[in-house]
Amino acid sequence: MTFQAGVRAAPPSAPTLGSPIPPRAGIGLRFQHHRDVLERRPDVAWLEVHTENYMGGGSPLAHLEAVRRNYPVSLHGVGLSLGSADDLDAAHLARVRELVLRIEPGLVSEHLAWSVTGETYLADLLPLPLTEEALDVVCHHVDRVQASLRRPILVENPSTYLRYRHSTIPEWEFLTAVAARTGCGILCDVNNIYVSACNHGFDASAYLAALPAAAIGEFHLAGHARRELPGGRTILIDDHGSRVGPAVWALYAEALARFGPRPTLIEWDTDIPPLDVLLDEAALAARALATGALECDARTGRDDVAEPCTFAA
Amino acid sequence: MTTATPSLRDMQQAMRRSLLGHDDSIAAFVVDDGVAATERLGIYRNTFVGVATRALRLNHPAVARLVGDDFFDATAQAYIVRHPPTSAWLDQYGDAYADFLAQWQAVASLPYLADVARLEWAVGRALHAPDAAAVDAATLASLAALAPEAPANVRFDAHPALQLVRTATPADAIWRAVLDRDDAALTSIDLAAGQRWLLVERSNEGVDVVPMHEAGWNFTLALCAGETLQQALDAVAEAPDFDATTLLAQHFAAGRFTGFRTVAPLPIAQPDEDCP
Repeated sequence: MTFQAGVRAAPPSAPTLGSPIPPRAGIGLRFQHHRDVLERRPDVAWLEVHTENYMGGGSPLAHLEAVRRNYPVSLHGVGLSLGSADDLDAAHLARVRELVLRIEPGLVSEHLAWSVTGETYLADLLPLPLTEEALDVVCHHVDRVQASLRRPILVENPSTYLRYRHSTIPEWEFLTAVAARTGCGILCDVNNIYVSACNHGFDASAYLAALPAAAIGEFHLAGHARRELPGGRTILIDDHGSRVGPAVWALYAEALARFGPRPTLIEWDTDIPPLDVLLDEAALAARALATGALECDARTGRDDVAEPCTFAA
Repeated sequence: MTTATPSLRDMQQAMRRSLLGHDDSIAAFVVDDGVAATERLGIYRNTFVGVATRALRLNHPAVARLVGDDFFDATAQAYIVRHPPTSAWLDQYGDAYADFLAQWQAVASLPYLADVARLEWAVGRALHAPDAAAVDAATLASLAALAPEAPANVRFDAHPALQLVRTATPADAIWRAVLDRDDAALTSIDLAAGQRWLLVERSNEGVDVVPMHEAGWNFTLALCAGETLQQALDAVAEAPDFDATTLLAQHFAAGRFTGFRTVAPLPIAQPDEDCP
């Protein structure tokens, strides 16, 4: 049985709302493109927004409701801090729930990460030590979120720049265990797997092979940057600031071959380009989804095709 | 921190201290495989400070333009380590920023800066407040039906987007001129013009800042604080030429109240009892 996008405990109140996200290509909607998307109604299968950008009321929420009338929408959160040793921020969870009730998204997702400790929000998706204690904490919080929202969520694998000495569980096993124990789905961020694999020297294909196909509910694709560090080392930074790189497209093709088509999102958050660039990237993903194969020709003329993963320890 | 395996909570508190620049004891628990742990931690610190700074700038665009990007960033860093975000709702980040600027020595030569920040904080609150329906005509009619003795005991529910700000300088004129990039208006502002009593509310596509008279502002503040109409009237009893009826009508016409409640059983024998 595959994980069903948009499965909910209660039936949707209207047949046109709460529709599942189709296994097609979508784009991340940012404020810059609200007007374009509303006026042009571009041919894209679905849209994803950051949950935290639409809390409270006023015109951002009104725009999102207008967009929602034309497209399936996925809510992607960055602030629940599923890995916090502390309790979840109840006020924040209440705001997420309110938005979910109002927008009736096809998918709700969060990250395998933490960002809150001692009532400080550290404004980044921080890596967890992958221990039995952290696994218990994450599962407890996912249970609580799913009970509150009355629906399963997807949990996304993070991109990371450090590992802890006391980690004992490989990330793919940790994520698989969270899905198995809580019933949540997995948001498989292909770019994040690639970035972390390069930064920490593991095999990205083996990571994919270890994930449970039935739990995969969505793919993310994005660009990353390379940063040269003093001493000549290079680290990949998940900046969502460019087109999807060829190595990530190749890994995406592997993921499609392994898991089959799933909703696939083009994410772009730094130096956000015109809407047409995002639509162009989404069209590439859409073709791969439709044919099950990657048409790499369009990408091979680029400078960074050779992107060997040779700098990890 | 010792080198024994830390609990998740201890580890997260150590990471907090690292990102806030207090100490890097967390580095002892980070794998150091050719890239130093402090280098890896620096990537996260840069993101944290960068995201918090961007939130502070988005919430205070006029302050940012008044001081310039580099100065704004440096001041933001000082603020962030003293008052890091407490919630992932970053539209609401910066509640202590105006007070911080008011005592921050580096901006002491810009006495209006804290006032502009105070106004921008109110603007942000108005922008991101929950939606709420204003009192409709039928409900207003039911209020009128309570007259004449009941209004003394009526409390109003202010719209969540309604904000009241008092500034020592003409911060609203500065704010408008800066955001409009209107240098002529900016140079003509009289910084010694004195206090401003401002009402901030949401409009169709943004926020309006409405200057008020002192008495009307105080009256409205009392109502917004949940005081009864009689108490609000008492608060401005000394003000000459204050017309509460007209102002209330303006408030209702502008949708500034979402409801009202009577606070004592009717009828009230002596309305003055509530008002010592």
